[in-house]
Amino acid sequence: MDIRFSDEEQRFRAECRDWLHTHVPAEKRPMNATDALDFDKAWQRRLFDAGWAGINWPTDYGGRGLSIVQQVIWLEEYAKAHAPWIGANFVGINHGGPTLILNASDAQKAYHLPRILRGEAIWCQGFSEPGAGSDLAGIKTKGRIEGDELVINGSKIWTSFAHVADWQELVLRTEEGSTRHKGLSWVICDMHAPGITIRPIRKMSGQVEFAEVFYDDVRVPLANVVGGLGNGWKVAMSTLSFERGTGFIADQVKQAQEIEELLRTARTSGAIRDDSVAEQLATMRAEVAALRAMTYRNISTVIRTGQPGPEASVIRLFTAELGQRLKRMALQLAGPDILDFHYGDDTLVADYLRGFASTIAGGTAQIQRDIIGERLLGLPKSR
Amino acid sequence: MDLSLSPEQESLLTATTDWCRDALPLEAARHRTPTLWADLEAMGYCGMTAPAMGLCHATEALVFAELGRHLAPIGLLATAVGQRWVGPGHFALALPAEGKIRLFDPESATAAIGLWEGQAGLIMVPASARGETGLDLSAPMAMLDIAPAPNLIDDPRAALHLQVLTAAFALGCAEASRDMAANYAKIREQFDRPIGWFQSIKHMAADMAVRTEASRAQLCYAACALDDGAEDAAFHIAAVRQLAGEAAIANGRANIQIHGGIGMTDEASPHLCLKRAHLLSFIAPPSRAILLGDTA
Repeated sequence: MDIRFSDEEQRFRAECRDWLHTHVPAEKRPMNATDALDFDKAWQRRLFDAGWAGINWPTDYGGRGLSIVQQVIWLEEYAKAHAPWIGANFVGINHGGPTLILNASDAQKAYHLPRILRGEAIWCQGFSEPGAGSDLAGIKTKGRIEGDELVINGSKIWTSFAHVADWQELVLRTEEGSTRHKGLSWVICDMHAPGITIRPIRKMSGQVEFAEVFYDDVRVPLANVVGGLGNGWKVAMSTLSFERGTGFIADQVKQAQEIEELLRTARTSGAIRDDSVAEQLATMRAEVAALRAMTYRNISTVIRTGQPGPEASVIRLFTAELGQRLKRMALQLAGPDILDFHYGDDTLVADYLRGFASTIAGGTAQIQRDIIGERLLGLPKSR
Repeated sequence: MDLSLSPEQESLLTATTDWCRDALPLEAARHRTPTLWADLEAMGYCGMTAPAMGLCHATEALVFAELGRHLAPIGLLATAVGQRWVGPGHFALALPAEGKIRLFDPESATAAIGLWEGQAGLIMVPASARGETGLDLSAPMAMLDIAPAPNLIDDPRAALHLQVLTAAFALGCAEASRDMAANYAKIREQFDRPIGWFQSIKHMAADMAVRTEASRAQLCYAACALDDGAEDAAFHIAAVRQLAGEAAIANGRANIQIHGGIGMTDEASPHLCLKRAHLLSFIAPPSRAILLGDTA
């Protein structure tokens, strides 16, 4: 057991830090959707040109093919340098791309992966439906096979970046009469295809970051199916094993920065003298440390066994709930000034309101607790 | 960077778990055999980081989590610290309070170790000291109605050592409650199914697991930091002491709730863990200032 990084890893860390120090843009990511898209694409291109895109992606498709520890170091330094959120590239880089790496044909990978890495193609997700949230296997959107095409009808919801996306990772029912996890397929859907209607949804933070997507006889070539017809559930579930417990590192580093910022604020205002404030801050500072230790421990398991342990779901839940408590504390320390919030303001109020997503999106806190109870403790399955 | 167990650590932990199952059954925590201290000494659990043994704190902390999971004698904490920083012997644990000192596991101990204003120190144990039952039924306690001045141990690492081992005991205690609750939730049936099927119970148990996972990871990190002499070792040890201490009490309470009526009885074991958790809460508690990173 050892918490120190090797000399080589420390050299890599210094390399990351140096580049980020001179290249992180001084201006903030714009709030307006169009400007934000231009910003995101330009930044991603910059990362790619300098060799920092796809740290752990295969070199054949433009990645760096580096180790998981180097990936961790890059993500830590990226967040420490206050580098911008990857925004519209999020789904392609963190979700669509990894799924393609694990499941797609060579032709699919050769076309899509370099475009994702260069920030040229924006992706969105198409999993949730009005009737299929936590119960994802309840998907009803259908694809009827006609010749060498799928003809798609139905709707998806909570689709982040739908309004700016070029491609969608769409999970739909391609087998007539199938139920639950069977008969689903994972397809690459062209978001510019005729028959797609996008209805943006405004969040309670004022931002328009997700949308409802309707499909009216949308035609997608069968060649866009990834991992074979009927294997959609398996393909969708494989994605998590690619990130291997590194998916929350940026959030964790940000939380470490947030707690120090909260401490500064509380000391300046004198709020630290309130015992309940001091106690919460002390506990959260300990939790931030424990979260990093859990992540390092999980990564150690991955290095040793090739797979994250079931405790990865603990990390996910812990990160999400700690993040929300930090934002709640930021609000408490800010006092009545928070009442001056207007839609469009990029303040801690917007962060607080947006933060509710962390225990809902991609598996609610309740679903995570089911998983922990069942897989870690062996309790009987409720579903 | 590697926070996974080495093969040597793994085999030592397996051996410890096996030994504890026979020699330290949790259910018998209030009636330990008279030869237990000799057995603990023979097994090498008393002075793992003592100069003669020279193991690292990380290994010791992991072994202590196993021992703590079986509610091993509380005096082991003091004995491990004593053998590392003072010399051979069996040490009682001293808990100084206003004008008096509680001594735990005093019998056959020549001296007692505790913290005075955060610094580790040593007092003599009167030959007349007899252990009586207190809140923690597994921890015989004697009361000294005088408060002699301690001989302070001139190394701040002694206090950190006691704190990290206390955290390890607290983690073990929290894990014992977690496992007892999960096992009971698998066999106890109501409404024609195991109560662990219900999300109300399952989510309570999941929260117990979240607390222990966080504490275990941080324990490994903190013990390594102490081994490395890292600058932030005191913070990381305070952090695990805070989280594991809270986990022991919260899991102890949840375990009783999940056991329902039987959980409230003297006969069942859940209360043993809860009472141990409350005792641990007074041993080497974390400093708020260190947790907040105050620069003195």
